[in-house]
Amino acid sequence: MKQSGYGFLLLLALMLPPVSNLLESIMITHMHMQMPMLVFAGFLMAKFFQKRFPQFFEKWNENGLPGILLFTIIMVYWSLPRTMDEALTMTSVEAFKFFSLPFLAGVPLRDSWRKLSSSWKHALIIFFTVLFLGMGWLYIWSPVQLCNNYLVIEQITLGWGFITTAFAMVVYLVYSYFMDFSKYE
Amino acid sequence: METIIRNSGKTQVFREKANKVMGISLEDARLTKSYLSVAFLAILLGGMLGLLQGLNRAGMLELPVWLNYYQVLTAHGLLLVVVLSAFFTIGYFYAGLSHTLGGLLPKVRKMAWIGFWMKIFGFVLAVIPILMNEASVMYTFYPPMAASPIFYIGLVFIVLGVWMCAFGAFINVASWRKRNPGQHIPILSFFATGVFVLLFFGSLPVAIEVFTIIPWAFGWVETINVMVARTLFWAFGHTLVNIWYLTAVSAWYVIVPKIIGGRRWSDLLTRIVVIALVMMNITGGFHHQIIDPGISEPVKYMHVFMSLAIGFPSLMTAYAMFAVFERTARKKGGRGLVGWYKKLPWGDVRFLAPFIAMAAFIPAGAGGIVQSTNQLNQVVHNTMWIVGHFHLTLGMSVVMTFFGISYWLVPYVSKRVLTPQINKLGVIQTIIWTIGMVIMSGAMHWVGLLGSPRRTSYSTYFDNATALSWDPYLFFLAIGGTLLMIGVLIQVYAVFYLMFFAPKGNTEFPVAEVEEDAAPTPRWTERWGLWIVCMLVLVGMAYVIPLVDFIVNAPPGSPPYKTW
Ligand code: HEM
Ligand SMILES: [Cu+2]
Repeated sequence: MKQSGYGFLLLLALMLPPVSNLLESIMITHMHMQMPMLVFAGFLMAKFFQKRFPQFFEKWNENGLPGILLFTIIMVYWSLPRTMDEALTMTSVEAFKFFSLPFLAGVPLRDSWRKLSSSWKHALIIFFTVLFLGMGWLYIWSPVQLCNNYLVIEQITLGWGFITTAFAMVVYLVYSYFMDFSKYE
Repeated sequence: METIIRNSGKTQVFREKANKVMGISLEDARLTKSYLSVAFLAILLGGMLGLLQGLNRAGMLELPVWLNYYQVLTAHGLLLVVVLSAFFTIGYFYAGLSHTLGGLLPKVRKMAWIGFWMKIFGFVLAVIPILMNEASVMYTFYPPMAASPIFYIGLVFIVLGVWMCAFGAFINVASWRKRNPGQHIPILSFFATGVFVLLFFGSLPVAIEVFTIIPWAFGWVETINVMVARTLFWAFGHTLVNIWYLTAVSAWYVIVPKIIGGRRWSDLLTRIVVIALVMMNITGGFHHQIIDPGISEPVKYMHVFMSLAIGFPSLMTAYAMFAVFERTARKKGGRGLVGWYKKLPWGDVRFLAPFIAMAAFIPAGAGGIVQSTNQLNQVVHNTMWIVGHFHLTLGMSVVMTFFGISYWLVPYVSKRVLTPQINKLGVIQTIIWTIGMVIMSGAMHWVGLLGSPRRTSYSTYFDNATALSWDPYLFFLAIGGTLLMIGVLIQVYAVFYLMFFAPKGNTEFPVAEVEEDAAPTPRWTERWGLWIVCMLVLVGMAYVIPLVDFIVNAPPGSPPYKTW
């Protein structure tokens, strides 16, 4: 339960205006630092909800697939250039960001991850790898500025951020493909 | 087929036991002896060059025209920071792998030998242009200063040789894990794995850098992106420094407790320290570029944070060491709030040297925090303070730990014993080195604060008053350097005496056990693939922003310059 408390604190800290302004002032820290940390805050808080509403998760997320689907939708939604722009200009969208990433992505991720079979897990990582490669391609080679709020150079930087993250995920996939953990246990 | 596999498994188990009882196999011993010999020859030569520099800086010695200050400095840096450290680390960890994993696989031993000769070949290639004054670029070889291409080709071979050794270690560890399902890698091999992971990933950026420099040094391409080159260099340079530190730390955690007759600190926390140091290391490279242009303030701020994060496992280490000392001393009847320290074996060089090394890390670490702070960095950047700092960290914390290791590792691989006389000589050496380094590095720190620049041969700047005020400190620097040279001579004598002339006998490889009531270590500590992925993500976080900026907004680039 302590964990959930920390998660809540993290969420509050990220919502402080100076913190959110700093993180949002750079495109890549907005998308690759603030957003994952919001998901992580939800991930930590998930324990609280799992304890309070066990039947809810049991009933609606029995095999983990609905939860992971919700997670994926929220994540894809927040990878769109347009949504980032709106978060900066419209308070309601900003509020939705601080709500949806922890509670609609972080919490279901925690609840679903354990329930998923390893092939689903790998499928998910592969999906995000492909998505990230695509996003990287889009941001780096897009001929125009995609966000009103960020310069082209920041967009290219974010693109390379996507590519490096995808690269790290590929390394992980290759590693788990070649490593047979049962041999070592 | 089945039975063959099972049988070969059995012989392997037998070999592992034999290895523990009878000591290291002759072939593995020869490998480590060769690596250590090169390491200590490097310190002999490097120390002499260091003394020349110290005497020159004090205005007491004018170097001849055929050997200028910057040639000496390049060789000193390369010999001590690359040759001494790399050869010692590899020799030490290969002995550790051999001891804890039941001998090296023949294939791995061969790889380590190939690596050995590649490094020697590369080093010879690099030294030739230095001697010809064609490569006085210092060990950092920052473009736009350009050396003869041969120098860089030599560096490529050194890196390839290191990679051979890294892959050899991975193969040996993987094979052991297959043969011992469900077991944790022995702690010393765990440290070795971490060190070789860092050696490999840390030298990737410098390999990329050198491959962009070579065509430029040959004149095939006209210009080079200076900021990218510097950044790639420090991603490597900083990691390298921390690799030596992690090597010393391995001895503090694993060897020293055994020598004082105690047990190891928590196995789990030890492994966490290793994992943390491996993951967070490479990103620290930016603290060498705090004054560099082209990196925006917020990004520099993030880098300060990433750099200081490494302080956390270091503080854990400090805590762990003193906890082990106190626990052991109290078991032996030590009393009082601080009185227990009397029960520690102060007369044993194998303890004394690493102990002083650890103690030196307290001011050394504090100095490091000072330098990582943006404003304070502006005061000390490129002054003698920096030189004082790394003689404290490398020349004392790391090298003195290596010295302490040599008093049991060399007899262990030579099947000889440490005699009481050599032990006493070692204690004297330790004291001389300590006094010498405190004087030299103290003087360097101080004169640096007064503005004396590093990497500059003696000059009074037309008798400028400020420059003249440095002289007394530089004189102390020379005194410290002279003491250190005496220390080097004693140390090298001790090593070769122990290797070839000490009485024959069996020396133990001191690996401490965990406490009896220790909790089992969780399995996740073994998931190296995951730690590497986390490391790559952190590296991405640190490097993507500045590198994209340097490349997309690149200035015209620079042609090669020979400034000397
Ligand atoms: C006999 C002992 C030693 C003496 C007298 C000595 C002295 C010096 C001096 C005077 C400098 C030049 C400062 C300058 O002009 O910038 C220097 C640089 C350096 N020393 Fe030492 N040193 C000794 C041992 C060591 C050891 C054991 C190490 C590392 C393991 C080491 C690593 C370095 C490095 C990396 C440099 C910087 C080279 C550069 O700036 O390119 N030294 N040393
Ligand atoms: Cu560093």
